Amino acid sequence: MNKVKGLRVLIISTAVAAGSLVIQFTHEPIHAARQIETAPQGNANSGKDPGAESYAQHCAICHGDQRQGILPGFPPLIGINHRMTDDTITETVHAGKGRMPGFPNLNNGELSALVHFLTIAEPSLQGSGAHGNVPSGIAEAGEALFRQNCAFCHGRDAMGGETGPDLTESKLVLSDKTGEKIAEVIREGRPDNKMPAFNLSSEEVSSIIAFIHAREAAAVERPGGRRGVAVADLQTGNVEAGRKYFDGPGGCVKCHSPNGDLAGVATRYEGLQLEERMLYPRGAKSTVTVTSASGQKISGTLAYLDEFTVALRDSVGTYRSWPTNRVRYAVQSPVDAHAELFSKYTDDDVHNLMAYLQTLR
Amino acid sequence: MLSRRFLFLRSYFDMKLPNNFLISAVALAIACARPLFSQDLENAQLLNPTPDSWPSYHGDYSGRRHTRLTQINAQNAGNLTLAWAFQTNQPAQIKSSPLLVDGVLYFTVPDNIWAVDARSGHLIWHYYRPATKGDHIGHRGVAMYKGWLYFTTPDAHLISLDAKDGKVRWDKTIADVEKGYWTTMAPLVVKNHVIAGVGGDLDNLPGYLRSFDPESGATQWQWDVTPPTGTPNAATGGMTWMTGTYDPDLNLLYWGTGNPTPVLNGAPRPGDDLYTCSIVALNPDDGKLAWGFSVSPHDTHDWDAVETPVLVDGDFHGQRHKMLMQTSRNGYFFVLDRTNGKSLLTIPYGPVNWSLGVDKQGHPIPNRAKEPAPDGRLIAPDEGGLTNYRAPSFDPKTGLFIVDAHPSYSIYFAKPADGAYGWAGADYGLWGKGVIEAIDYQTGKIRWSHEVGAGGSGAGVMTTDSGLAFTGDGYGNVLALETSNGKTLWHAGTGSPMQSSPISYELDGRQYIITSSGEVLFAWALPERGQSAAKQTSTKLH
Repeated sequence: MNKVKGLRVLIISTAVAAGSLVIQFTHEPIHAARQIETAPQGNANSGKDPGAESYAQHCAICHGDQRQGILPGFPPLIGINHRMTDDTITETVHAGKGRMPGFPNLNNGELSALVHFLTIAEPSLQGSGAHGNVPSGIAEAGEALFRQNCAFCHGRDAMGGETGPDLTESKLVLSDKTGEKIAEVIREGRPDNKMPAFNLSSEEVSSIIAFIHAREAAAVERPGGRRGVAVADLQTGNVEAGRKYFDGPGGCVKCHSPNGDLAGVATRYEGLQLEERMLYPRGAKSTVTVTSASGQKISGTLAYLDEFTVALRDSVGTYRSWPTNRVRYAVQSPVDAHAELFSKYTDDDVHNLMAYLQTLR
Repeated sequence: MLSRRFLFLRSYFDMKLPNNFLISAVALAIACARPLFSQDLENAQLLNPTPDSWPSYHGDYSGRRHTRLTQINAQNAGNLTLAWAFQTNQPAQIKSSPLLVDGVLYFTVPDNIWAVDARSGHLIWHYYRPATKGDHIGHRGVAMYKGWLYFTTPDAHLISLDAKDGKVRWDKTIADVEKGYWTTMAPLVVKNHVIAGVGGDLDNLPGYLRSFDPESGATQWQWDVTPPTGTPNAATGGMTWMTGTYDPDLNLLYWGTGNPTPVLNGAPRPGDDLYTCSIVALNPDDGKLAWGFSVSPHDTHDWDAVETPVLVDGDFHGQRHKMLMQTSRNGYFFVLDRTNGKSLLTIPYGPVNWSLGVDKQGHPIPNRAKEPAPDGRLIAPDEGGLTNYRAPSFDPKTGLFIVDAHPSYSIYFAKPADGAYGWAGADYGLWGKGVIEAIDYQTGKIRWSHEVGAGGSGAGVMTTDSGLAFTGDGYGNVLALETSNGKTLWHAGTGSPMQSSPISYELDGRQYIITSSGEVLFAWALPERGQSAAKQTSTKLH
């Protein structure tokens, strides 16, 4: 999967393909038909512009009233002029492509008006009330997909929900202007965090990314009404009490030192991320020593352990595994001390410890 | 990818086959005075399922997920082998529990039903209805009555299809997807009622349960979990997204209800928020409430009480009771008298730190100091709960209630800026692990526990009369455990953890165990006689 990443970016950025998706569905576009039936009269794009009229008559049933597409079956046409030349658009409309029917009977005047309409600036989406901050039709198409696939965990507005974090505050989202990193997470999932991988087309992925970025922009415009946890929220503890807990009942000093491994920790992490790592550092390494039947001892980083198989990565990086019933093994897992503390903490202990760690700059 | 998309409705069913079968079936039926191949799943079969069937979500009305079959036992379980595997060739994980009727398995993911030959794993038909709206979080399976299947969709429709070929008979609306509802659950058929619930706690919407006429699809009744949206000081929510159970003697339907909304902010909905996070008993003929028991009064942690309400008749401290048991997502194990909803036992089955104990009526007392707060509260269990929708199992011989538990901790946040709509806060899981636990139902004591890995497993449990408990670990191993002590007798690596609950049936004298992992359905069985002999020969050669 990783090898095609470069290709994927290319696909996302250059080929929000009119043709490649059109052929994928063979069922009736019921949803689209309903939208047409219920579209209010005097739609912004119907009326005087003959290109808009032609679009409404021939194209909107599949590509949406606002050219936003109806994914996954029908691609958005917004920005089509960045992906296809006028000639190619003309040819596609005239002859069809894949499952898309051709419209050979359009006269030259209507055809050129339609192509002109398709290549002018993006339509306004002010009529689409519920998501007034979504700036583009692609994002609107992505919203539908986001609701189906992502909203349960990340919230319908991408601002967090059941088990999934607020994406509008995600460092990965904020830093990923091209969408490459988001696309990778969508396609490959995050098995460690139980996020599944999604098998979506490039067009679908890019529409979801457009929606997430639109939500990010909306969140920046409206601070205050946000979910998620701000650094300022986590300042209720007492530094001195936290230091005492660290040195005393917490037992933190058994493994950690404010001048050693934790020196400057508050410059490396902050806010919720620091608190989560403080409570349980995910991905912490364990070591294992395996003793074979012949008495040979092999040590390394624990790579896998279930009831039946133990595996390690040795000092040169080689993966080695054994059936658990053929060897003896001993796992050293210092991170377990964090799990053992859960039943002992008060909420004040957590807040105080957090206050103390934030002084380690 | 393209081929998947084209597969929207394809029938592989050869009409000659059932006709021939019907003729022989009629002859056999006369000979045996019992329908062997009917295509009609009658009420009698739902009440007393035969070993060659798994005709409803839980296998029978009791929700015990226990099979009487004994061919696979502690002595031979180590020989279990793959009978077949069915690839769905699509990306959604299978979270459904299959039905098995007349030798055909029916199972689902969102927008999809497969009918698969239960002996060979060959496709009979596939139904695909892509919904462009509604949440596609998962799908639990279909219901069947007479020759018809009942299927819920992400956009909250109930669809009746011909079990023979997947042709749609009718399509009704359960709820309005535009308001934020969706459906995932396998309906429950009781007498001439098809009972379906709803999902949707991204919005402040009332949950309800609705009964449909199996022939016409007309609504027969609706029971509302909460008052309507906008009622002052009242919760909405209480989604009804898991299949309930039924006691034919008492003629009562038992159902678990989901969390209240707004989810993490309890301030706008003071009090117990009835009947969210509750177990309710309803009359299946008119939907009237007989009793309700609040499992998580005033929940602020998203702990739906929809886990299977398991029905057991038996001794409780010397007295015979008609009991209802639930290992609830909030971390408590409940035993109720199901005739009246009175508590017999309420006790945690893992780490729980959000309550001040249990009141005299058996309800946990929520600790207000553990409600989500701006600076965070450390909470056990996490939002996924100490268990979730995958089924537990009750083993009548040992009296053990076996559940896939998930000891876990998390932090919960809520502040005024999070508002009072939908989620209204944020929570973050910190740590969890999976443990299969065997609970003594009379005391709540854990008789044995079997660790199944960091993070948790997600597999349901099914027990057998031969003393086996089938489940899975967090690494993708299917496990056969000894019910009495939790020891592993057999395992098979499938590559992906099970997110569903096993079922079992016997066809042509061969017992099958069906599990799923990822997007693949697996059938396990003992080697057939020929294979068994071959295996012995090859063993000798070594």
